Amino acid sequence: MADEGLVSHKRDPIKSSVGNAAAQRRRQHAVTVGKERREALMRTKRLCRVRVSGDSDDASPDDNDMMIEEDQSILEAQTSSAVEELKLAVAHQGKGPTQKRVNALRELRRLLSRSEFPPVEAALQAGAIPLLVQCLSFGSPDEQLLEAAWCLTNIAAGKPEETKALLPALPLLVAHLGEKSSLHVVEQCAWALGNVAGEGEELRNVLLLQGALPALARMLLPNKKSTVRTAAWALSNLIKGPDPRAATELIKIDGIPDRIVRHLKKGDDELATEVAWVIVYLTALSNVATTILAKSDLVEVLIEILGMSTSLQLLIPVLRSLGNLVAGETHITKFVLVARHDLTGNAIQALVKCLKSEHRILKKEAAWVLSNIAAGSVEHKQLIYSSEAMPFLLDLLSTAAFDIKKEVAYVLGNICVAPAEGSGRPNVILDHLVNLVHGGCITGFLDLVRSADVEAARLGLQFIELVLRGMPNGEGPKHVEREDGIDAMERYQFHENEELRSMANELVDCYFGEEYGLDE
Amino acid sequence: MAMEVTQILLNAQSVDSTVRKHAEETLKQFQEQNLPGFLLSLSGELASEEKPVDSRKLAGLILKNALDAKEHNRKFELVQRWLSLDMAVKAQIKTCLLQTLSSPVTDAHSTASQVIAKVAGIELPQKQWPELIGSLLSNIHQVPAHVKQATLETLGYLCEEVSPDVVDQDQVNKILTAVVQGMNAEEGNNDVRLAATRALYNALGFAQANFNNDMERDFIMRVVCEATQSPEVKIRQAAFECLVSISSTYYEKLAPYIQDIFNITAKAVKEDVEPVALQAIEFWSSICDEEIDILEDYGGDFTADSNVPCYYFIKQALPALVPMLLETLLKQEEDQDQDEGAWNLAMAGGTCLGLVARTVGDEIVPLVMPFIQENISKPDWRQREAATYAFGSILEGPSPDKLTPLVNVALNFMLSALTKDPNSHVKDTTAWTLGRIFEFLHGSTVETPIITPANCQLIITVLLQAMKDAPNVAEKACGALYFLAQGYEDIGSSSPLTPFFQEIVQSLLTVTHREDAGESRLRTAAYETLNEVVRCSTDETAPMVLQLAPIIMTELHQTLEGQKLSSDEREKQSELQGLLCGCLQVIIQKLGASEATKFVFMQYADQIMNLFLRVFACRNATVHEEAMLAIGALAYATGPDFAKYMPEFYKYLEMGLQNFEEYQVCAVTVGVVGDVCRALEDKILPYCDGIMTQLLKDLSSNQLHRSVKPPIFSCLGDIALAIGENFEKYMMYAMPMLQSAAELSAHTSGADDEMIEYTNLLRNGILEAYSGIFQGFKNSPKTQLLIPYAPHILQFLDSIYMEKDMDDVVMKTAIGVLGDLADTLGSNAGSLIQQSLSSKEFLNECLSSDDHLIKESAEWAKLAITRAISV
Repeated sequence: MADEGLVSHKRDPIKSSVGNAAAQRRRQHAVTVGKERREALMRTKRLCRVRVSGDSDDASPDDNDMMIEEDQSILEAQTSSAVEELKLAVAHQGKGPTQKRVNALRELRRLLSRSEFPPVEAALQAGAIPLLVQCLSFGSPDEQLLEAAWCLTNIAAGKPEETKALLPALPLLVAHLGEKSSLHVVEQCAWALGNVAGEGEELRNVLLLQGALPALARMLLPNKKSTVRTAAWALSNLIKGPDPRAATELIKIDGIPDRIVRHLKKGDDELATEVAWVIVYLTALSNVATTILAKSDLVEVLIEILGMSTSLQLLIPVLRSLGNLVAGETHITKFVLVARHDLTGNAIQALVKCLKSEHRILKKEAAWVLSNIAAGSVEHKQLIYSSEAMPFLLDLLSTAAFDIKKEVAYVLGNICVAPAEGSGRPNVILDHLVNLVHGGCITGFLDLVRSADVEAARLGLQFIELVLRGMPNGEGPKHVEREDGIDAMERYQFHENEELRSMANELVDCYFGEEYGLDE
Repeated sequence: MAMEVTQILLNAQSVDSTVRKHAEETLKQFQEQNLPGFLLSLSGELASEEKPVDSRKLAGLILKNALDAKEHNRKFELVQRWLSLDMAVKAQIKTCLLQTLSSPVTDAHSTASQVIAKVAGIELPQKQWPELIGSLLSNIHQVPAHVKQATLETLGYLCEEVSPDVVDQDQVNKILTAVVQGMNAEEGNNDVRLAATRALYNALGFAQANFNNDMERDFIMRVVCEATQSPEVKIRQAAFECLVSISSTYYEKLAPYIQDIFNITAKAVKEDVEPVALQAIEFWSSICDEEIDILEDYGGDFTADSNVPCYYFIKQALPALVPMLLETLLKQEEDQDQDEGAWNLAMAGGTCLGLVARTVGDEIVPLVMPFIQENISKPDWRQREAATYAFGSILEGPSPDKLTPLVNVALNFMLSALTKDPNSHVKDTTAWTLGRIFEFLHGSTVETPIITPANCQLIITVLLQAMKDAPNVAEKACGALYFLAQGYEDIGSSSPLTPFFQEIVQSLLTVTHREDAGESRLRTAAYETLNEVVRCSTDETAPMVLQLAPIIMTELHQTLEGQKLSSDEREKQSELQGLLCGCLQVIIQKLGASEATKFVFMQYADQIMNLFLRVFACRNATVHEEAMLAIGALAYATGPDFAKYMPEFYKYLEMGLQNFEEYQVCAVTVGVVGDVCRALEDKILPYCDGIMTQLLKDLSSNQLHRSVKPPIFSCLGDIALAIGENFEKYMMYAMPMLQSAAELSAHTSGADDEMIEYTNLLRNGILEAYSGIFQGFKNSPKTQLLIPYAPHILQFLDSIYMEKDMDDVVMKTAIGVLGDLADTLGSNAGSLIQQSLSSKEFLNECLSSDDHLIKESAEWAKLAITRAISV
């Protein structure tokens, strides 16, 4: 038996017959189909009792339960006939049929709100859009406008091409945002427009041309919570960019900066969340907006929420807004988050809270904000260095996922260097560096050196350079060697990125050249 | 206690079957009546130099089989049996075994070395037999070469049997030192050197620490590389096998050696005998595997922690590697296309070239094109075939931008070669290359179409023509047509294939009837291609698919009318039945998908079902699997009317669920139970006692393959959804089983990736069962019955959330269960839910997930909870 030797490797030849793989795929497909049907059934069962909000007042429980067992094709058939019904109702002119129109619209709206897969396609095919546009005409009763806008909202929530079908309705939806409309109608129209704006850049540009922005912005001025929330949500979709002009236009509208900050401060979590998303896009896209907002008390409000709130939904946009501001506007670190100011201490404390959180996005963004603060003055660096953030940062550097690790490395790197004078290499802040090295940070930075991400690798190499050059008594090279750093750098000997290659090679030559180790 | 067994052992190998049977019976009785005595006698026989070699060898084999079995449960029993034997007996057996290693008789010492490894496999994990490795190592310095050889073989088998973590690093070091010394060029005895090289192959998994140490690694690598230069073929081959294994186990340590290895492998590929050259190519294929994996991990952003960096060995070696591989393509064997198991230099070289193309992408193209241009029109068929093969091999990897212009030029040439080339190898490879073109450069996602209205007709004509060629060529032409059809999968309402549909179907059916369709797997290819053509067809051709149904049914009917067949014929018959059932499955699925065609198709339903039931009468696993899948499709198309087939179908359903051995049949049947549940809803109730009994038996069996268990849990959910509150009577059996499975799968600490993946499948199945049960009971007066189970289920959700190792699918299902619980139990569970971690952090995490399926489930759960709490 021993003579059989080892089982020789034989892999599947590239030139193989189609039959086996095809049969495998076919059977796999059959299994997948079964799984999909199970999920579809589960969806219908779950929907049975779920009532679309607003439906409960005018739908009897019986008729709701009747809908339960229906399957999609019946739903589609009903939708087509509802559109036909609407067509008849619209054809009747005069006053009497108003109720008929409203009833037809309501029926269609219910069908479109019914399942998780609303029969939008069936409605479009049956020609719903022109009818709905007609129902939006000026002077129509509020109830009719509301139902028509509601139908359009649900259609706009569909697939991209379905959303685009709304194009003919957009001018009227924008027009009904005006001051004379009832608040219900305004909100419903804003909702529809928000869905359209969320679809993509092309539709956003159409809406901007049609004047949706000032109309929605005006809705932020009164204090009715649901109106402001809907408007904020629609606006955040509308100014998403990538073109920054809409964001700039919004911030320049009289009273808006003030209102935004106030809603953020006073609103409940849900409202504040939507407003915070508006701020995220303002500060991410528009320099003008960033400058204006930096001068308001927004930073204080953000820091306060960051410290107090426990709502993840709210914390994410708030943290990102703060990050955008700190990164985008040097004014903030120079004048608002002054090193000796209490506010700065609070900010760092709040950020530490995020670093401690279980949620990776919070961790990552918090580290990013800290790295921007750490890029400030020497006092800022000292402040972070002496804060309770340090142990967490060191721990994250060695244990966190790569993307978080990288942000953390920026914080730690920034803490160890003073701003360069002139164009020379940055100066080392000695006690920071020494303590970080003794805290075991070299391994983490070497992980970055070994990574395939060029930016991270450069950062890692820069820090290693600091260690080699900056550690007292020339003990830098020993620290680096002990953590297998030479090996990590030697990998770059033939690396395709020229900058990294020469950085690494220079370091190895300079600190681990022929002389290295001779004096021992 | 020991007994003289020589004569019995010799008799057990007698040519006279009566003598043999009697001896086997005697051995069996001996073993049953006195196991220790039996094993002692065998080991004594094996160790004794006076005994004939045949009885010693058989004694060793029986010993080995008394310690290990392939089947998992049997293996476990044997291990327990050995562990419970008397210590003194075991010590005596082990002494005999070690003593046998010094025997000059090869068969004796070689069998002993395998038995020792089996014993070690049982005892070392129990911290028993601590002196084994020490005493083996002391043998290494013995003078007789055969002792050394036997010892090295034992060490090799031992490393194969035992997991590295039960051997101390100190002992690992000593084993490796002994092995590497045995491999050294100074070792004069080739048998010893070969044994050492093969032992190293098994010991590589133990060498983690040694490969981290530069000095030791250098030394091991030097010895392996030297062994590749041995004058002895077997040693060279074993050494290259070591290199292949190192390339995947220690990829990240290879940089310093890669240049030397390139030189060694290049020389072997050029000059050495085939088994060695094949391993040299395999080294580079294996490096490609590694780099493809790493680069895939790199893909997108760096969210996945890629621990191993890519060293781009292939990219660096490219200018030399590609010419080396192209050279091998010219070394085809005359009849390789007819031989299914063929594996030679040209095939390995092309396969490696394909992997290289996937590793480096565009960069390979300019290195291969000159070779193709140089050889594609040469008079020697080998050159034309090699050029075509090279082209086909590099079609996956490089970008369409790079390939499309080349393919546009090559396409007409290929089409004409497939019709006119005088050589069948060239045609075979040409058809395959066309298939690769359609597989990778044709389809709805490709920007510049290769197939246009101008060339579509020509392509189809040529492929249909080639389907009349030799079986191997026809098989490849079917493959090309398969991918051609697949590319039109998402074409919409009108397909360019429509005008040719009838002709294509007719040609494929003709192929299935060819007398030589059994060769080169031609018949399978033709049916699977037909399936794909049907699956990807549009409404325009639905009437023709409808016509196809009775044709395939007639064919299936004919196979069932057969007379008595020889076993060989019966096997062919079964294969054909499997293919026909597969084809019907696709037709049913296609026609059942639209109301209009479904209505017309239903006229065949009775007949089809009747055929399937007759198919079950033939005993063949693949056929059963295919028939089951087809019935699943039929149940979906038929809906509640499927109830009329149940009285007859039920027994086959039960048979399928009992088929532990052919577990794939069992798995498919479990899926069909789900399909039938969805079709029949509460009409399945009369059959549920039987089905549930069988499913619960399956779950508690340790003979059934574990992969079937997660779908069985999901199936419990399907049943509960179908029969609603009637599930009550199964609760007292199903719930404890779900509960204990949930406890087992809650924690994965210390498990490997494979185990975590399986655990997640299991969790998903359990959670789907809970969802089904909750939704099934919803709105019934009996929801109260579920309340006692709620705390445990919530706790299960909390603990898998805390564990932080669930995949996206489990996350989606888990958060759904939270919603189902709230939805069904309402205010009864309000405070319980509010206390759970899942309703806060877990739910929030899901709400902010990027995965829209998770988000959707979470939003639904949130709604359900809000309602439960507010009431």
